[in-house]
Amino acid sequence: MENVIECRNITHYYGKRLIYEDLSFAVPRGRILGLLGKNGTGKTTTINILSGFLQPRSGECLILGEKIGQMNPLTRRKISLLIEGHVQYQFMTIEQIERFYSRFYPNWKREAYYELMSRLKVAPHQRINRMSCGQRSQVALGLILAQDAEVLVLDDFSLGLDPGYRRLFVDYMREYAKAENKTVFLTSHIIQDMERLIDDCIIMDYGKILVQMPVEELLGKFRRYTTQVEADFKLKDTEGIYNPSVIRSSMELFSMLPEEEVKARLAAQGVGNLSVERVGLEDAFIGLTGKY
Amino acid sequence: MIKAIYYKEWIKTRWYCLLALLLSSGFAGYAMMRVARVCSLKGADHLWVVMIQRDAIFVDMLQFVPLFLGLAFAVVQFAPEMHHKSFKLTLHLPIRASKALASMLVFGGAVLLGIFALSLLIMWAYLHTVLAPELWRHIILSTLPWYLAGVAAYLLTSWIALEPTWKRRVLNGVVAVLLLRIYFLAPAPEAYNGFLPLLALVTLMYSLLSMLSLSNFRDGRQD
Repeated sequence: MENVIECRNITHYYGKRLIYEDLSFAVPRGRILGLLGKNGTGKTTTINILSGFLQPRSGECLILGEKIGQMNPLTRRKISLLIEGHVQYQFMTIEQIERFYSRFYPNWKREAYYELMSRLKVAPHQRINRMSCGQRSQVALGLILAQDAEVLVLDDFSLGLDPGYRRLFVDYMREYAKAENKTVFLTSHIIQDMERLIDDCIIMDYGKILVQMPVEELLGKFRRYTTQVEADFKLKDTEGIYNPSVIRSSMELFSMLPEEEVKARLAAQGVGNLSVERVGLEDAFIGLTGKY
Repeated sequence: MIKAIYYKEWIKTRWYCLLALLLSSGFAGYAMMRVARVCSLKGADHLWVVMIQRDAIFVDMLQFVPLFLGLAFAVVQFAPEMHHKSFKLTLHLPIRASKALASMLVFGGAVLLGIFALSLLIMWAYLHTVLAPELWRHIILSTLPWYLAGVAAYLLTSWIALEPTWKRRVLNGVVAVLLLRIYFLAPAPEAYNGFLPLLALVTLMYSLLSMLSLSNFRDGRQD
């Protein structure tokens, strides 16, 4: 499958602080990829590199086959960008912003924008800076739908939104991307939203990628194991076992290994009587990255 | 696409444009009213004598008005772009970033020049009826460095506003103050006459400084 977004061996520092080293990933056409990571792991840094607002120390990123730093400006017609916090020109009204953007995009779909705007309980002449964050998210989403780009880059789309607006955004985006075969790269700090939306995920920890795979495959393999142990029990570092923790005498750990394999490895350390359960994406994320 | 950029700039700055127009024309008109009052009380010949003997130009109150208007114009135009870094939206438009910024600066510069030209026209409209050509030209030429300072203040403030890091903003601010000082060094009327074309050229060159800020912004420079 053709890769629409491709990053190769990206290394970036802020001053002397390493953000990540040799980060590589690709997003095939028509897939929705979510980048998950704790605060400070480099999600927004990655978005900034992808949108051309940050020059990585080394490595290269390509969108639609063009290097981002040397991209033909007209190629940006095929790329929609949602800035963290649904930032838009605050001094414009719903009508003015539509009129402004429509001049830049030949495939502009005015009806798609106004269809979404009709759901908002705001006057067409209301300025964006007087709207709630939820209403602004709908304006941003409407503009993305009207632009009809091939690639969508969305930075923390759920920031500041209440559950209703988040659900509306996710459902609209999913339906749109799938129906129109759009490629989406996004981040969000609310992982339940991602689970409804994304096909593939990258889970990042400080400086590296922990997991990069389809969500279905991750949730198919990932399990939480719980059991009772002595309060001072400490599990030795064991390959394939993630973030074991003991609170009072309850031990919790995570793994993607087959159940028999996990049981065998734990039995070698005197741990038995394990309860196993499937987990959602949020628990998988916590299981991989830890609680703090 | 350039028209759309002008449209955005117009929406952002239209109320300030009106205010700046009223202020600039108002100050010019008020200065002319004062001249007219002297004229009606003591006669035009008295004006001539004072101008020639005491080197007076009667419009000193206008000295810092263009400077203030230019500075405020840049703040009104570029502060909303830097708020939540929405300048990224402009840079993501399918147009060369330098072209987008140049269009914004052309818009601001053209509006300012229009406002300043109207003030000069107001002064000329009255002065040429009571003063000899040599004398009204003397007044108009003496005010030109102030209007150039207004354009310079606009371009230098744009440079500072677009700069993404505070350290550089402070440094740029210091440099801008020193550069603006050049426009107010010589107190004598028409002192800049021989230097005006070069000063105008240098003033236009300040627009290139905003391109440095643009480059820093696109490289993701941070404090």
